[in-house]
Amino acid sequence: MSAHLGVEDLTVSFDSGGYVIKPLDGLSFAAEDGELVALLGPSGCGKTTLLSCLAGLLTPASGKIRFGDLDVTGLRGPALAAYRRETVGVVFQAFNLIASLSARGNVVVPMRLAGVPRARAKERAAELLARVGLDERAHHRPGQMSGGQQQRVAIARALVHDPPLILADEPTAHLDHIQVEGVLRLLRELAAPGRIIVVSTHDDRVTQLADRVIELAPNFTDADRAPEETSLGAGDVLFRQGERGDLIYHVDSGLLEVYREMADGSVESLAHVGPGNYVGELGPILNLPRSASVRAVEDAVVVGYTVRAFRRTHPHHVIEQRAYN
Amino acid sequence: MLAVTFADLWFRARQFTIAVVGVGLVLALALALSGLADGFRAETAATVDGVGATSWVLSRAAHGSVTAFGAFPQSDVATVAAEPGVHRSSPILFAAGQAVVRSGTTAPTWVDIVGVQPGGLGDPAVVAGHRIAGPDQIVVDSKLQGVPGGTLSLGHHGYAVVGIVDDRTMLGGTPLVYMPLASAQRLVTGGRPLVTAIATSGTPTQAPAGLVVLSPASVITYSTSELGSAVNSIDGTRTLMWIVAAVIVAFMLYVAALDRRRDFAVLKALGASSAVLFGSLAIEAVVVTVIAALVAEVVANFMTGMFQQVVDITPDARLALPIVALVVGVIACVAALRRITSADPAQAFG
Repeated sequence: MSAHLGVEDLTVSFDSGGYVIKPLDGLSFAAEDGELVALLGPSGCGKTTLLSCLAGLLTPASGKIRFGDLDVTGLRGPALAAYRRETVGVVFQAFNLIASLSARGNVVVPMRLAGVPRARAKERAAELLARVGLDERAHHRPGQMSGGQQQRVAIARALVHDPPLILADEPTAHLDHIQVEGVLRLLRELAAPGRIIVVSTHDDRVTQLADRVIELAPNFTDADRAPEETSLGAGDVLFRQGERGDLIYHVDSGLLEVYREMADGSVESLAHVGPGNYVGELGPILNLPRSASVRAVEDAVVVGYTVRAFRRTHPHHVIEQRAYN
Repeated sequence: MLAVTFADLWFRARQFTIAVVGVGLVLALALALSGLADGFRAETAATVDGVGATSWVLSRAAHGSVTAFGAFPQSDVATVAAEPGVHRSSPILFAAGQAVVRSGTTAPTWVDIVGVQPGGLGDPAVVAGHRIAGPDQIVVDSKLQGVPGGTLSLGHHGYAVVGIVDDRTMLGGTPLVYMPLASAQRLVTGGRPLVTAIATSGTPTQAPAGLVVLSPASVITYSTSELGSAVNSIDGTRTLMWIVAAVIVAFMLYVAALDRRRDFAVLKALGASSAVLFGSLAIEAVVVTVIAALVAEVVANFMTGMFQQVVDITPDARLALPIVALVVGVIACVAALRRITSADPAQAFG
C-alpha cells in the first residue's frame, strides 16, 4: 500500500444538548508518503476529532478519507477493525498506557489482541522499546516513568504492527522541553518512506519540523485591518453557527436576529439586535467558533471590526458576556 | 488479555484483597448456615440411628416424629414383640422441653428426656462413666456439661449423672437426658405406663390399632420436619448471604470498571472487543469469588464452634461452594457490563 492520505470535504457534526456542533466542516487536505503532517489549531478546533476519524474511531457526517487504496470512511465491521489494528498506530495525548502493565506489557497488548504469539510479541516489544531508547525500562510500570518515557512507550506501542499511518494527539502536551526534544526527534525519524505521521498540536516546535502544516482554524493575522461595511437584504445570513471569524459587527441600520440551529433542524431565536448595538464578539475574542447564527430580519447595514479595532473605535462599549455569542 | 487481567488483579491487590475477605466471610457464614440447616437432620439421624432399631412403632398422632408426644399404652410393646420377624422390642418415652438445674447453679437448662429400658434398644453407649443401672440414674449428652458423679434436678427429684454420651441432641442442639423408663414415666406421665415409641430389631408386619410402623429414615425425615420453619429461615438467610456476596463482588467490579473506563477505551482502540473485555472482567470476578470460597471453607470450620447446635457442613456443600461462587462472580459482572459496552474507543483521545 502506498502511503497517501486524502481527506475530502470532511464534516463531523454532533448533537450537544440539542445544538448542532460541527468541529469539522468541509475540511480537505492531502499528505504524501513519508511526510510529517502537523494539524495546527487552538483547542476545540477539531484536531482530535480529525484524528479520531483518521483512526477509524469516529464516523464523519459526510466527506471521505482515503489512505492508499482504502476508502476509510466506507469501512465497516471486520474491515474497519483490521484497518484500526494494522494500518493505524495511535499515540494518545495523555499517553493512555495501562497502569497495571509494565512498559513491555503495554507494547505487547495490541499484538496479543491481534493474535501474535506471546514469544514473538515479547521479542517485538523488546525491539521497539530499544528503538525508542527504553530497553532498560521495559519492566517499569507507567507510574515509575517520566512523561517523556511514557510517551515513548506509547509510540513504541503505536509501532507494533509497523503501521503506515501514525496519529499522534498533542504528543508534547504533557512534556517538559527536554522530553519534548526526544519525542519530536523520534517522530521526525519515523516519518520515512512507507509511512505518514499526522501530529495534532498547537506547539510551534512541531510545525518547524513538519513537512506539511494543516491549519484547522483560519489564521486571522491582520488585527488592524480597516472596518468592513456589509449590506444585508432581509433573510441574508451574516455568519453561521460553527464558523470561525475575527469580526465584531456593529449594526448601523436595520434589524438582525441571533438564532441557534438545533440538532432536530429547528431554529431557536435568541435575540434581536438593532442600530447602535453590536453582535458576534465572543468568538473573535476567545478564538472560538461562532456559537450562534445571525441573519437580517430586514435590510440592514453592519460594519465589521477586528477586536482591536472595535476596542479602539468604540471605547464606550463595554463588551458583555452574552450566552449566545 | 489474560496478562492484562492478572496484571490488573495484582495492581489492585489491596482492593481485591478487601473484596476477598468480605466475600470470604459472607460465604463462610453461608456455608455455616448450610451446615446449620443440615445439622438439624444430622443430629436427628445420630440420635435415631444411635438407638440401633430397624423399625420404629409410633402413635399415628405423632405423624412420624419421635419428638412429638403421641403417647400410647406400654402394653402395646408386648403386642409388637409378638409380631413375626421382630427379634427384640424396647419401649421409649420421649419428652421434649424439660428444665434441669445443674448442681451448683440455679438457672435451668432445657433438655429432652428419653426414658429407656436399661439394656434395651435406645439405652445409649457412654463415652464416660457407665450405663444406666438403676432408678434415678441418668446419662446425659456432653453438651450439658455434666460429669459422672454430679447431680441434676428435674422437677422435684435429684438424679445422679452416671454416664456421658456424645452427639445426642435433638431439636436444634437440645441435649438429651437418658433415664430408666420407669423414672421417666414418674416424671412425665405421673407414673402411668405410657410410652411414645417402640424401637424394634426386625420389622413388624403390622402395628396395633392407632400405631404405625416406620423405618428409621422416615422417622428422621418426619422428626426433622418439625423444624421446617427454622430450616426455611436458615435457607432464606443463606440465600441472602449469596446475594450479599454477589453485591460485594458486583460493587467491587463496578468500581474497578469505573476506574478502568479509559483503559477500556484504549483497549478497544487497540483492537479489543467488548466480549474480550467482559471476559477479562469475568475472570477477575471468578478469581476473587473462588479465592473467597476457599477462604470461606477454612473460616467456616472455625465458625462451627460458635453455634450451640450441630453444624454439619457436608462434602456436597463444600463442593457446591466454589461452583456457586463462580456463578455469583459471573452474575456480578453484569453490573459492570454496561461500563464496558458503553466505552467508546474514541474516548481514548479525550
